[in-house]
Amino acid sequence: MSSAQIEIQLIASLVAIACAIPGTFLVLRKMAMISDAISHSILPGIVVGFFITQDLNSPLLILLAALTGIITVVLVEYIQKTGLVKEDTAIGLVFPILFSIGVIMIAKNANDVHLDVDAVLLGELAFAPFDRLIVSGIDVGPKSLWIIGSILIITIGLLFAFFKELKISTFDAGLAASLGFSPAVIHYGLMSVSSITTVGAFDAVGAILVVALMISPAATAYLLTNNLKRMLIYAICFGVFSAISGYWLAHWLDASISGSITTMLGLLFLAVYLFAPNKGVIAVMYREKQQRTEVSLLTFLLHLKNHTEERERHVNHLNEHINWQKVRSKTVLDLALKNNMIKFDKNIVSLTEKGEDFTSQAIDYIITNEDAQIEDMKDDFFLFRG
Amino acid sequence: MSKQIAVKVDDLTVAYNYKPVLWDIDLEIPEGVLMAIVGPNGAGKSTLIKSILGILKPIAGSVSIYDKPYEKQRQLVAYVPQKGSVDWDFPTTALDVVMMGTYGSLGWIKRPGQKQKKAALEALEKVGMLPFKGRQISQLSGGQQQRIFLARALVQNASIYFMDEPFQGVDATTEIAIINILKELRKAGKTVIVVHHDLQTVPEYFDWVTFLNVKKIATGPVKDIFNDDNLTKTYGINYKVSIQE
Repeated sequence: MSSAQIEIQLIASLVAIACAIPGTFLVLRKMAMISDAISHSILPGIVVGFFITQDLNSPLLILLAALTGIITVVLVEYIQKTGLVKEDTAIGLVFPILFSIGVIMIAKNANDVHLDVDAVLLGELAFAPFDRLIVSGIDVGPKSLWIIGSILIITIGLLFAFFKELKISTFDAGLAASLGFSPAVIHYGLMSVSSITTVGAFDAVGAILVVALMISPAATAYLLTNNLKRMLIYAICFGVFSAISGYWLAHWLDASISGSITTMLGLLFLAVYLFAPNKGVIAVMYREKQQRTEVSLLTFLLHLKNHTEERERHVNHLNEHINWQKVRSKTVLDLALKNNMIKFDKNIVSLTEKGEDFTSQAIDYIITNEDAQIEDMKDDFFLFRG
Repeated sequence: MSKQIAVKVDDLTVAYNYKPVLWDIDLEIPEGVLMAIVGPNGAGKSTLIKSILGILKPIAGSVSIYDKPYEKQRQLVAYVPQKGSVDWDFPTTALDVVMMGTYGSLGWIKRPGQKQKKAALEALEKVGMLPFKGRQISQLSGGQQQRIFLARALVQNASIYFMDEPFQGVDATTEIAIINILKELRKAGKTVIVVHHDLQTVPEYFDWVTFLNVKKIATGPVKDIFNDDNLTKTYGINYKVSIQE
């Protein structure tokens, strides 16, 4: 690997981490589309900042652009508050207008600078190592690396300081307000961090990938855990994994780096969506099938419990009594036998002691919905997991 | 001996988009009562609570908790929002939600520790939810979720409790469990204010009541003012309800 290659992967990874942190909270606050709005509408801020500073990496430009991001959020909220349109419509109204103002400004005034719309949308990660930061004559690395690195340090610092506040105001804004943690302060703080991260990442990876890096890792992590801290860690890992594997995919395909990273993010989500242990599609299908079998088992056990007469419990007549297909009856019988819930005596089926207990407990639970006593049954049976 | 006033509301007017939803409310809630706020949909019951707690900004009027503004008395007040106001798919556990009740006493930046965890576990025990402490909150039934919210308020160890429809969507067992805890709070000298919908149970559960419909209709002891006259004024013409003495 050349040093340029390492630098590109490092920048992509830092961008991924910096995006995953605010992204997790945006996803939980159902504000994913706001990141899309911010990433587009900061363009006029970047253009104006560029006219003033003549430097795409100037901190002033980043602040100006972040300010446009905040203005976007405020405008969206203002339009939404009028009650005339819904939030998604308000977002759809605001950001294209701000973005197109930026596009016009570039076309009218900046034809001779390296600020074009393609670069804005898709980024120029491959060129990032060429723009070096020189401090008193010494090359200390690519400028993008320093910018996103500083933003990341600030983001992580804020996350550690205000984790509790972020959590409570995201989960329950009303309680947060009553306890004196102003949800508005947290909200605009998060919006500011999102805006600054977007601007910082923008030059390297472009407007579209910024959105993908904010939303995709968080959405993927959400499918895997019920713990906010873990969700953050998973989101960061997914982001970094996609950044690095995406880089090598681009290398191999000789294609756009940002496009490849976004593709990896999509594939990763698809894989988790299918194979996640609890919320994944396959797990859900398996669970539903198991539950069906367990309900059948319970029906069968109940039948045995309710009927003392041998006629009703003869193996050859069970099918017609319960009105099941052969295959299903066999599955259920096997399951009951495996769990020692029934025994055979000359082709007459009867409940074992364990079977009796299980049936009464299960019926009890279904009637009362009191699940304290059946905690130990949850490991073996999906039916009782709610 | 007259009791101390726990909550005092003066000339409170609250508006959404310049349309008043609460108009010139004067209210004094004595210490140690278990009070129901009743009124039709859109009467401003939740709005009244939210304005007292500083969640909504009134356009006129003031609120005091034991003679001081709410901002100075946050530690004395606990709040149970409507169950439907939060996303129960949020990645967190029952214990963690109850711990949130301790955040107020911690203030900004400080993290909860062992002391807070112990308090949260005790509160869970009180509402009978200790076996579910590690359960993800979406895996709880509606009644269990309401108990978690109640535990979160208990952990604040406040003097005044505001609850927004704690009986909404819970079964009879949970309703009785909750009301017993509320009655225990009153016995311990706390003031409990509940937005309530079921008029039939008002005389049985509460000793104080406020009738509200944009304006305050009446407030006082249930045995004195819970009558057809006030119900009719609050809910419209000819509203009858049987009052069991």
